[in-house]
Amino acid sequence: MEGYAGGIITLLAINCIAALGVSLFTGFTGVFTLGHAGYMAIGAYTAAILTVEYGVHYVLAIIAGGILAMVFAYLIGIPTLKLVGDYYAIASLGLGEAIRLIIENWNSVTRGARGYPGIEGFTTMPVAIGFLLIMTIGMFFIVYSSYGRAFKACRDDYVAASLLGFNTAHYRVLSLAISGFYCGVSGALLAGFMSFIQPVMFDMAKSTELVSIVVFGGLGSMSGCLLGTTILTLVTELFRPISQYRMLVYGLVLVLVMVLRPEGIMGTSELTASYIKGLFKKKKKTDTAEEGAR
Amino acid sequence: MDTFIQQLINGLSLGSVYALIAVGYSLVYSVLLFSNFAHGGFLVIGGYICYFVLRSGGANIWVASIAALIGAGVSAIVVERLAYRPIRERTPITLYMLIASMGMSIVIENIFVVTVGGRFRALPPVIPTDPVNFFGLATTSAFDILSLVTAVVFLAGLQLFLVKTKWGLAIRAASYNLKTAGLMGVNVNRLISIVFFVAGLLAGVGGIFLSVRYTLYPQLGMITTKAFVAAVIGGLGSLPGAVVGSLILGVAEMLTAGFISSQFRDLVVFGILIITLIIRPTGLFGKSVGEKV
Repeated sequence: MEGYAGGIITLLAINCIAALGVSLFTGFTGVFTLGHAGYMAIGAYTAAILTVEYGVHYVLAIIAGGILAMVFAYLIGIPTLKLVGDYYAIASLGLGEAIRLIIENWNSVTRGARGYPGIEGFTTMPVAIGFLLIMTIGMFFIVYSSYGRAFKACRDDYVAASLLGFNTAHYRVLSLAISGFYCGVSGALLAGFMSFIQPVMFDMAKSTELVSIVVFGGLGSMSGCLLGTTILTLVTELFRPISQYRMLVYGLVLVLVMVLRPEGIMGTSELTASYIKGLFKKKKKTDTAEEGAR
Repeated sequence: MDTFIQQLINGLSLGSVYALIAVGYSLVYSVLLFSNFAHGGFLVIGGYICYFVLRSGGANIWVASIAALIGAGVSAIVVERLAYRPIRERTPITLYMLIASMGMSIVIENIFVVTVGGRFRALPPVIPTDPVNFFGLATTSAFDILSLVTAVVFLAGLQLFLVKTKWGLAIRAASYNLKTAGLMGVNVNRLISIVFFVAGLLAGVGGIFLSVRYTLYPQLGMITTKAFVAAVIGGLGSLPGAVVGSLILGVAEMLTAGFISSQFRDLVVFGILIITLIIRPTGLFGKSVGEKV
């Protein structure tokens, strides 16, 4: 599969990786963020500069982009994750925009607002899908490890979690660092896919898009987040022929899902074979229950 | 020195327009405890109504601005009815309203893109922008002084409304505890509609002044990000905080633009935000979150 369809699948894989990162932080650790596009920008620019100016192999450059984004996330997280609720959300918005503005004004390294051209198109469909597979498996390992349980404990009740001896601040920073790594890798892949990056690509709209995808798919469900990404990416792509209505439809979908099914499409359940079986069983059960009531 | 005073006045005038928007945002936050990201949409709606009334109905700025204010206020009520009330009645989790408000802001922005197009429009020259000599100290524009005065008038009006009227009392009660206010016999749904109307109206005023300053286009609502930042610096839910935060931001922005470079003004804004939050995590006038819950 090449051409248009292949491009959409590649883009989908890239978006999924970023969404996985945000899902860990917002869905599993329960901290709402509006600045993750900043970490994508760090990853994208690191990979671009390493491959173009230093001739580093692209796999190494992608991983380096992820790691740099992770380091930044860790350093940013230590002072800011003391904030709670909307305050952290707005602070992260400020941080994300600050990263973008620094990139935009650092002409000597990032070539400023005009963008960074001439990146080798290393993100082919197999590369993107390969990274997605590895990182999805990695994410499932994290979520079902003791760390994952600690993250969920912080989300559900951080007072209780800290009384039980969890260092909640530490786990939040850790969760942010891991999600920063995922966003960095996703940004690096995006740089290789587009061959051209520009600071505007990583502005606040991108950050809010990432969060909306995660909430749309279901907070606390990794498969829901992948499903949400697929649906929202396809909505924006399939409506491209009537491009001026594309964002309108996107906004309406977002509002409608929040009004009709605020917990997202998957809620907190994962899409597994037993879940699909359970869907049908539940239907039967309610049917029989209704009959019994009659 | 001249430039300093000039930029100071410009900054205060810009800050006072931010204050109009930030106060509306803070008002909604204090009652519903969520950040209404569609707030910028009301500003754009106000701006466009003013533009089209001026274009079609002669050049009477009073009629146009009253239409714009009412239009912005009513659209705020409509948005609350359609998008937030169903969520509010179902779940206490404010995150879902936050996402819905993001969706709503995308919807409003793109309704304008689809219907009137994304091009930049300048308001007809009904608001004077000629230079004014400011007590021989500096030259500034009449527009800056006018927007400063208007903002002060509207903020004073809001303060009177909150202190002197029965609904103002109800809003102040609701900002302590919405549920208890409801139990005390306040019609909560009507109260929230009023809060949204007032917030939308103030955003409409801000919209008219911002569309004179930066011309009018569907993405103008993005400027509310800075008003959000101002509200957070002042402390979410605190009205004096929102005003002080806005003035700090406006002055800082204009001084940066005047003395360093206008490319750094946004960086300075977000820098101030982050430093404030690190030093005082709930903003300058914020109540601690534990106290609110």
